[in-house]
Amino acid sequence: MTPHLSSTNPSSIKTRFAYKFLRALKRLNRHRPTSPPSPNDIFRGFRMIKMASYASMASAVGSRRGWSRAVLRKIRCRALEIRRRRKCGGMIRRRSGERNKVDKLRNLVPGGEAMDLCSLLDETAHYIGCLTTQVQVMRNIVDLCST
Amino acid sequence: MDPPIINEASFSAANPSSYSLTEIWPFPINGEPGIGGGLGLRMSSLSGFGEAAMNRDLSVDESTVTEQSGGGRKRRYANSEDESSRLVSTSSGNDLNNSSGKRMKLSQSRDENGGSRSEAEANSESGNKLAEKSTKSSEPPKQDYIHVRARRGQATDSHSLAERARREKISERMKILQDLVPGCNKVIGKALVLDEIINYIQSLQCQVEFLSMKLEVVNSRVNPHIEGFPSKDLGPTTFDTSGMIFGLQPTREYVQGSQPEWLQMQVHNSFDRAKHDLTTPH
Repeated sequence: MTPHLSSTNPSSIKTRFAYKFLRALKRLNRHRPTSPPSPNDIFRGFRMIKMASYASMASAVGSRRGWSRAVLRKIRCRALEIRRRRKCGGMIRRRSGERNKVDKLRNLVPGGEAMDLCSLLDETAHYIGCLTTQVQVMRNIVDLCST
Repeated sequence: MDPPIINEASFSAANPSSYSLTEIWPFPINGEPGIGGGLGLRMSSLSGFGEAAMNRDLSVDESTVTEQSGGGRKRRYANSEDESSRLVSTSSGNDLNNSSGKRMKLSQSRDENGGSRSEAEANSESGNKLAEKSTKSSEPPKQDYIHVRARRGQATDSHSLAERARREKISERMKILQDLVPGCNKVIGKALVLDEIINYIQSLQCQVEFLSMKLEVVNSRVNPHIEGFPSKDLGPTTFDTSGMIFGLQPTREYVQGSQPEWLQMQVHNSFDRAKHDLTTPH
């Protein structure tokens, strides 16, 4: 990282995420069409930005976490993942009580379908922390852009 | 065959003087042929092990119930071993049958002695191990094992231990999560905590969606004005992420500093429009 960033911890997840996310935003902006955007374009751009934020968070975390590995893999082969999810959609069984909630949590945390409960909770804790950071940084960026 | 075995077990377990007998007993067994050879009657009954002998033995035992108090009977047998000739010769068939019955017991108790001695060792070992709470699956007598487990309310086999460790781990993680999710500390119950966690993750993901929507709208509104923004500034050195990270630094500094130009243009050109658009959709 650059020396003038030494006021913050350059290796913190927050810094790395902000850096990666801004780079991704720039790359997205570069490929933006010059014509005034249609609603469809806006929706596509929104999805791209959302995906970019998740991807940059996952790559900032690295591959040592299960959920970030899952996010990166999902983004790398997105079409395949969508097809698989469609196939799996009919197989979801309804359970009751706590199991149902755990399954819901599994669906929320990326890559949680293949985890046991213990590591699922571990990954959930880390994922919540990263999501909080992500929201914070994105809100700061939006505030900067809109004020 | 059963009553002598039971007598033997109770005797060896209860009688404190059993050590002498257990030490004594192997020798008579070894010296049996010699003695038996000297005593023709006993030898015949011994070698026969017949049902008739057994029946007679039982009938005699009925008559000598008072003598069946374990140690006394065996001590008497030991005496009869020492002074066997006298007893056999002087007394009638009672002693003979008794001795034959005891000899049957003796032949069984050769095995029984070994077995009971190993059992006693296992008992002491199991006591030590239970005291140490070691998880090794020794083969203690099952009654003791179950008894101790019931008393302590803990299972010590490996599956239960693993399951308990897993449950402790899970509750520990749940505690961490409770600390992480705001307003989750007061919630009691695993299902409710999970509910809170799920809601929090969903809200965070919704916030991410909302913020990326905001960003997209800001960018798309601004974009036509800045189609020719310089690509040199896209290098990583131009980013001053510290302002974005903490948000506490004033924006002026950010604008003055090494800010990419597209952000500046966004800020200056379409501030009002972007703000208007952002507030309306949600």
